[in-house]
Amino acid sequence: MTAQTIPLPKYLKKQVTNRMGLWLFILSDAFMFAGLLVARFYLLGVGSRPDVNTFLGVGVTSVLLLSSFFMNRAETAAAFGDRKKFERSTLVTFILGVLFLVGVVGVEWQIAPFGPGTNAAGSLFYAMTGFHAFHVLTGVIFLAIVYRNGRKGLYSAERHWPVEAAAVYWHFVDVVWIFFYPALYLIGKP
Amino acid sequence: MDEIKKKEAYQKGIAIIILLAILSVIEFTIGRLASTWWVPLMLIALVKAFFVVRDYMHIGRVFAGDEETH
Repeated sequence: MTAQTIPLPKYLKKQVTNRMGLWLFILSDAFMFAGLLVARFYLLGVGSRPDVNTFLGVGVTSVLLLSSFFMNRAETAAAFGDRKKFERSTLVTFILGVLFLVGVVGVEWQIAPFGPGTNAAGSLFYAMTGFHAFHVLTGVIFLAIVYRNGRKGLYSAERHWPVEAAAVYWHFVDVVWIFFYPALYLIGKP
Repeated sequence: MDEIKKKEAYQKGIAIIILLAILSVIEFTIGRLASTWWVPLMLIALVKAFFVVRDYMHIGRVFAGDEETH
């Protein structure tokens, strides 16, 4: 029995449980990121930060925030049965996600004047951005699956839980970066 | 009715991204001018996260049961 064939009341009931499960996962994942954030302030204080490119930081942050906007647009489109807009917005979110990864892992990691083993700042920087980038990568894969299934017509206005799940996960990754960005790029001197 | 709800939902998404952009500009300016002001910077991050969690992640749905679908 697929999601499209089970009765709607049953689908909605199941969705409530799915939603709770997803949020519990997000809560547990948030503790890991909170631990990294606390470690950053414990080890570096507020007076110093990794020697990173602040302009690149603001660039990748803008890309991620913009991706959240398009993800919201995709979810809204799915909720109202606007398939074309859903596909377009999901694709834009996917591209912005890849762009973020390129900015952090492909550029920032390469130009940073320190390595993961240089000092505490270096270790923290690579741990925080690395864990976060891994989540972005997972989100990008999730988006690709949702996009493919959307094109196959597997979602409708009433039944689009995977789109909502992908959106919530994607926004969570954005929320993590909202805290990581000032902690790594703005607070303290290099 | 559905068209109005749809328009409102899209407009809300636009309003939130504008708010996030304004807060990000303020955050960046504070960071460039006074990098040791960690309290306002973290407060701005908290405000940004609040709007994303409330309006983009729709945390209210978790407590709404199956009454609210979108």
